Amino acid sequence: MAESMPSRAPRRTDKTPPAPAIQVAEKPVNVLVVGVGGQGVIMVSKVLATLCQRQGYQVKQSEVHGMAKRGGSVFSHVRFGETVYSPTIPLGEADVLVALEWAEGLRWLSYLKPETGIFIADTQQIVPPFACRNRQHGAGSGYARETVADVIAQVANCYAINAGQIAQELGNSKAGNTMLLGMMSTTLDFPADDWREAIRMFAPPKAIDINMQAFERGRDWVETHDPADLDPNQGGDQPAPIVEVMHEAEFELPVINRAWCKRCDICVKFCPERCLSLDEEQIAVLHAPEKCTLCRICERLCPDFAIDLKYKH
Amino acid sequence: MPDSAPSETVSLQGNHACALGALAAGCRFFAGYPITPSSEIAERMSVELPRVDGVFIQMEDEIASMGAILGASMGGMKAMTATSGPGFSLKQENLGYAAGAEIPCVIANVMRGGPSTGLPTRPAQADVMQARWGTHGDHPIVVITPDSVPEIYMQTIRAFNLSEQLRVPVVMLYDEALGHLIEQVRVSDGGDIEIANRKWAADPGPEFSPYAAGEDLIPEMVRPGDGFRTHTTGLTHAENGFPTQDPDVVEQYMHRILDKLEIHKGLIESYETIDTNDADYLVVAFGITARAARRAIKQAHEQGIRVGMFRPITLWPFPVEAFESIIDGKRGVLVAEMNAGQLITEIERYRPAECRIEGLNRIDGETITPRQILNRIQELADRE
Amino acid sequence: MSEADKQFNIHDYLREYLFPHFLCPGCGHGIALRALLWAIDELDIDKDRLAFVSGIGCSGRLGAYIDANTFHVTHGRPLAFATGLKLARPDLEVIVITGDGDCLAIGGNHLIHACRRNLNITCMMLNNEVYGMTGGQVSPTTSDDRFTTTTPYGNHEPVFDACALAEAAGAGLVGREITLQTPSLKDVLKQGLAHPGFSFIEVMSDCTEVFGRKNDLGSSAEMVLTQKASVRPDFLENAVDQPFRPHQIKTGILASNDRPEYAESYRNHIDAMKRDHGHA
Repeated sequence: MAESMPSRAPRRTDKTPPAPAIQVAEKPVNVLVVGVGGQGVIMVSKVLATLCQRQGYQVKQSEVHGMAKRGGSVFSHVRFGETVYSPTIPLGEADVLVALEWAEGLRWLSYLKPETGIFIADTQQIVPPFACRNRQHGAGSGYARETVADVIAQVANCYAINAGQIAQELGNSKAGNTMLLGMMSTTLDFPADDWREAIRMFAPPKAIDINMQAFERGRDWVETHDPADLDPNQGGDQPAPIVEVMHEAEFELPVINRAWCKRCDICVKFCPERCLSLDEEQIAVLHAPEKCTLCRICERLCPDFAIDLKYKH
Repeated sequence: MPDSAPSETVSLQGNHACALGALAAGCRFFAGYPITPSSEIAERMSVELPRVDGVFIQMEDEIASMGAILGASMGGMKAMTATSGPGFSLKQENLGYAAGAEIPCVIANVMRGGPSTGLPTRPAQADVMQARWGTHGDHPIVVITPDSVPEIYMQTIRAFNLSEQLRVPVVMLYDEALGHLIEQVRVSDGGDIEIANRKWAADPGPEFSPYAAGEDLIPEMVRPGDGFRTHTTGLTHAENGFPTQDPDVVEQYMHRILDKLEIHKGLIESYETIDTNDADYLVVAFGITARAARRAIKQAHEQGIRVGMFRPITLWPFPVEAFESIIDGKRGVLVAEMNAGQLITEIERYRPAECRIEGLNRIDGETITPRQILNRIQELADRE
Repeated sequence: MSEADKQFNIHDYLREYLFPHFLCPGCGHGIALRALLWAIDELDIDKDRLAFVSGIGCSGRLGAYIDANTFHVTHGRPLAFATGLKLARPDLEVIVITGDGDCLAIGGNHLIHACRRNLNITCMMLNNEVYGMTGGQVSPTTSDDRFTTTTPYGNHEPVFDACALAEAAGAGLVGREITLQTPSLKDVLKQGLAHPGFSFIEVMSDCTEVFGRKNDLGSSAEMVLTQKASVRPDFLENAVDQPFRPHQIKTGILASNDRPEYAESYRNHIDAMKRDHGHA
């Protein structure tokens, strides 16, 4: 899925500044940054907060790191203006929603201002373990089904791009968040060099070059994509592909080497689907192959190297 | 910082001669632990080895030093360590590994008085039996006892040659007095000495067996990284290198590692004889004691006593046939050694019925003097 | 799951003709060996360059089953042998497989000095709390009150924390994992192998047949679950200690540093000497 699926997004023609650049008025500007632990949500909000502070605004930033470890849901509220009281954004009040992960973006859509809210999303999908609702062979995942086109219909302005993949092409998939910053930079009326400076402050020293490139790519993307160019058949209507969680098709069912099995029972005890048992000779057998999800736990825990799941290719 | 000077005659301490001999033989790895009176070997190696891109390491203990040289040797380097009695005791288990798994290595044991901490700075020759039987079980081992600094140099080279060719640990056994003796040594530039290398296995075919040996009973050595991927173990192993308890295979293995020294004894054995042909009496001595014996024999000749000397240079395996041919017809043998009587037990095994065997032993941390030996030769002659 | 993981075939690394191996049913050592070979496979290390050095005991026997250059040496000394081997052959990837008795009791001195030197060796210590091969005697890591054949009234000796020891002695990388968490164990071992200095990885193995039976610890499945229950998750790091879980162990990478690697600093010193003294 390449860079595609823009929308009725705020457009920039040659001479106009980036899209309806949000004006900071008496009411604060609300930016909500969401994603999955490890993606750089906090970095994005720090860049933004620092930048706003340098522009002379009062800034309040409220973040929840969710699960401390990689993989949990993370979000950060950034509010800035002449005066800011509450640190959190009420429902339907976000001017910009930056989503580093597709389903996390969907989760927070209701926070966007219905009439003017701008949704900036990375279409990359990080499927959480609990989305694997059914461990059955070939079972679908519980991941969000909404396509980009579905979302475009719901929000005022939408930029959706596979930033993670583009950043990976640049050399580091983690710079996807900076690409979104580049896109966001077109929606806020701050000088581009101030953005660049703020990014330099927070990007890891070794990754500054890649982050700067990602930032420019984000800006360029907004500038070069016009709603008129959008082919609705190219990506926009397609369901977002679900990242493979299971590898069912890639392995064959476990094969037990009876000569090596020492009857320790560990595979039987740890099989999550209870499809292994000991036969009359106390040797492990796969008695319910139809229940096997090819999770490979038995293979990895067999102390006797007696269970193999053969890779098909 | 002492300088090694190629192909010239230099004054060297015995321990330094041992280090330079090792280098001349191609030794490029030394691991050791400080112990009097052998530390000068390690010190000299720490100077010389880095200059020739070798490795010197002082390990945490004697056991680790022995382990490290075996590791280096298994990796393909010629390696040695040096120690004295107490440290030699600590090395014994790994020395047994070298004998069993047939890993070439050279160990210098500069003998001091014992038992226990004993007399660290005084000479003794009391490790004759430890050198032979120190490690457990039946095992092959070669022990060389030089009697001068030039001989330490040359015999250290030979020790490496034997170890590499026969895949057997070789012990350089000499006492503190020789270790700290300074003599003139002609140090080679490499052109005039013979260097032997181990036999490397070349073809890692599917049928390759790392411990299969031909008629010479010496298996080719496997160098890691050459594609063999074999197993080396201290457990009794079959020709494929893996452990076995099959009595037939065990016996075959044991015979091979013991017999390989027997069939190569021509290469291993060395000894010196002085005036033995028409002698009535024989002095058996080695190392520093042999030097005293030489003078005593000369003095005895002046007194008309027909006495010769047999000096084993290879102490183990003992040069039995040579000794038996020399002892034949002798009326008495004096075994002079700086211990309570160790080599004499071996000599007695080969004693003809009519021959008297006496020991001259000194266990006070002093060397045996020519006068002591001469007196005993006279006593031996007077008894007739 | 990476492509390498999918294609990892354990049988590429085993001397199949020696199987089934000699370990007792349910012995965690086999799981640890798989994780180690899995890590090696992911790092794509050439088998000809792999050198395994192991000592004596159940752990020491594992080397023989690996299709690589394997050295089964004397009790407690694999680190000493490995030091010589690695210094003589820097091109080899030297891995030591050892056990709690081999590494911490008879070989304790070698461990602390291997950590101090920081030579590029990976040491995998399989901790099953017992001398299994000799019939189940107490080891330096046997837990409190456990019965062994030499603690018939329960063990009263304090337990050695091998990782704390290795860290204090300066090991370049220190890690610990239980066998049940096989992918994590593989990752910890992989980081150990990739670390340029000395890596010490303690694997919490289980001895079902000897230690487990003597102490009524149940089947190997039950033993590894008990182990899992005693693992302290990261987020409890600063939480109040839980007094009812006396055997809590920390897992993962526990320490790492970038002290100079021994062989490299040795070479640097020699090069400096050669420059200073004009030796070519």
